Amino acid sequence: MTVDVQYYVLLSMAVFCIGLFGVLTRRNALLFLMSVELMLNAANINLIAFAFYHGNLTGQLFALFIMALAAAEVAVGLGIILVLYRNFRDVDVTVPTTMRW
Amino acid sequence: MAATATGPFGFAPAIAVLPLVAFVVTLLFGKHLPKKGAFPGIIATAGSLLISLVMFAAVGGGNAHHTTLYEWTAGAATSATNTEGVAFTFGILIDPLSALMLVIVSLVALLVHVFSLGYMNAEGETGLPRYYAELGLFTFSMLAFVFADNLLMAFMFFELVGLCSYLLIGFWFRTESAPSAAKKAFLVTRFGDYFFLVGVVAIAATFGTVGFAGEGSFVTAAETAIDDGATLFGFDAQTWVTITGLLVLGGVLGKSAQFPFHTWLPDAMEGPTTVSALIHAATMVAAGVYLVARMFGYYALSPTALTIIAFVGGFTALFAATMAVVKDDVKQVLAYSTISQYGYMMLGLGVGGYVAGVFHLMNHAFFKALLFLGAGAVIILMHHEQDMWKMGGLKNKAPVVYYTFLAGALALAGIVPFSGFWSKDEVLFDALAVGLDEPVILAAYAMGLLAVFFTGFYTFRMVFLTFHGEPRSETAEEPHPVGWPVKIPLLALGTLAAVAGFVNLAPVASLFDLEISFLEFWLDGEYGSVEGLTYHAYHDTVAEMAFEESYIGSETTTMLLSAGLSLGLALAGAFTAHTLYNVPEPSRHTQKLGGAYNVLRSNYYQDEYQVWLAEGLTLPLARAADRFDQTVIDGIVNGTSTVSLFSSSWVKRIQTGIVTNYAALLVAGFIGLLLILGALGGWFA
Repeated sequence: MTVDVQYYVLLSMAVFCIGLFGVLTRRNALLFLMSVELMLNAANINLIAFAFYHGNLTGQLFALFIMALAAAEVAVGLGIILVLYRNFRDVDVTVPTTMRW
Repeated sequence: MAATATGPFGFAPAIAVLPLVAFVVTLLFGKHLPKKGAFPGIIATAGSLLISLVMFAAVGGGNAHHTTLYEWTAGAATSATNTEGVAFTFGILIDPLSALMLVIVSLVALLVHVFSLGYMNAEGETGLPRYYAELGLFTFSMLAFVFADNLLMAFMFFELVGLCSYLLIGFWFRTESAPSAAKKAFLVTRFGDYFFLVGVVAIAATFGTVGFAGEGSFVTAAETAIDDGATLFGFDAQTWVTITGLLVLGGVLGKSAQFPFHTWLPDAMEGPTTVSALIHAATMVAAGVYLVARMFGYYALSPTALTIIAFVGGFTALFAATMAVVKDDVKQVLAYSTISQYGYMMLGLGVGGYVAGVFHLMNHAFFKALLFLGAGAVIILMHHEQDMWKMGGLKNKAPVVYYTFLAGALALAGIVPFSGFWSKDEVLFDALAVGLDEPVILAAYAMGLLAVFFTGFYTFRMVFLTFHGEPRSETAEEPHPVGWPVKIPLLALGTLAAVAGFVNLAPVASLFDLEISFLEFWLDGEYGSVEGLTYHAYHDTVAEMAFEESYIGSETTTMLLSAGLSLGLALAGAFTAHTLYNVPEPSRHTQKLGGAYNVLRSNYYQDEYQVWLAEGLTLPLARAADRFDQTVIDGIVNGTSTVSLFSSSWVKRIQTGIVTNYAALLVAGFIGLLLILGALGGWFA
């Protein structure tokens, strides 16, 4: 049996909102990374669902692209977090505001 | 068009190149050469003189030479009257005028080089290689200027002549006055040259050519434009010719030291006397008048320009002559006489007397070089004393110097039959003939005539004070002897000053109906010539465009009347000087002039008013401009940056540095955008 496309959209919206909530409320940089991961995967769900719905592979192709991008983003993000920790002994994103201007 | 570069004319560039080679050689190796580098210059100028004489003979043989040596660049056709692009070239034009001038310049330069052996070397001067190198460069620039075939090339060498005179006037640069005089000469002439440059650009832009001769010359183009009744740059063609002609005239007035740009010349006496001789007789100052003669066809098209030339000339002749009357320094008297004599040339050219002007230019070159070299000899005799009141009685102690100087003085005063009489008389006759119909020219003629009296007076005052009477100082009793390098140039020039006038005995020719006005035939192209550059062509243009000539009685009567009048005045001046100063113990009569003495002594306050122009007018103006720049312009610039700095100090607060805030702003912005687009798209309708 097949699931209607609107359920996928609802699922993706829920996951995206959880990610957004994490970004807006958390102060821990690691949780930031995870929340961003959630939002990216919400987008992936959408892409796959609509690819299935329309019966072509373009959406799946882009989902693969996003996964590669997410991997790269995590690598850079973790690097930044490591440096942050080394300099400030903390991974709280409100601490390094001294670098703003 | 003239003959091609065959035969003797192939050597023409060498006339200028030889002194240039001498310049380079002397500059590089002068220290190691005998006589500190005098000989390369002497050999080079002798070579130039030789080739110039060959050119002269070739022109006399019925040829002329006009060729382009090198083309700088050729532009697209943009001018108003010429459909071809303007081409900037180096070229050589050898016609009667330039051939004559080449001989004069190279001859005077040679004699000055020889004289320098006695004047400069004998004194053990330092920096002699520099002196001879600069003389070489000076001669090179002037010779190249003389045979230039277009206005741009003429302008370039005109500037180079100015540079060289700057260098030579400032030769004794360790003194205080010489560098200042050099700077003054440079700046004043440069002020005039600024107008000259604008004039060159205007002529090139209007007519698309800067050539002096032939079909493609700006003179021909201007003539065609006037005949066609063309409108150039919003002006009537003739008005535009007047404007451009007057712009070029600015350079002429500066170089030829005409009022109001004459102030540099008396100060230029700070240079060595030999340099003064070269500057006054054949190079720097002559360049201005020569330029007017060179492009005379252009001025002939504009009666206004001619009248201005004539009036400025007549005025300067009188103006400078009165100042010469009260000077005590022998070189200062000569300096003012130079200004005055060039005034006569301008007067002659301005009334259409092309032959008269060139004739006086030639004669003046000889007698003024003679007088300056004579003054140089006197200065040697007097151990570098220049005050005439400390001289006296040199007549018997240095007869060669005395008699040659006397020949020059007679020529300068215009006493028959010395050269100056014939040419000055012709200038005045031409001015009178035109002046009978034109009141302005008549005024110029009257001033020129009056100046004759003063010329006679100051010339003989100088002669009597220097050579006659009793010696008035110890050095005058025991003068330093002069050698042959001094005497030979004096004798050569003395002969020329006495006899050069015989090449154009116009009054005699008119009186006895003889064909002996050789200079007139020469300039009229009876021998060789370039078409359009003849006295006849100019004379026709002047008659057509500008002036009518009329006579009192007949032409001969007028000529004799004019000659008699000027000779009488010159003799009267000389006689006055004789009465006042040819006594054993002359006294200063200048005090009797009262208030006029102070005015004359201060040169009519010309320097003062020019300084005032600079300090009282230009300086406050510059200050005001500076203040405007500092406050208004800089205020706007600084204000702009202050406003952006201030506003950014507020706007930057949006950058909190907390990532969460950025994300919130992003989301809020996105939602806001969504709502706006939705509202516009009609979701909530």
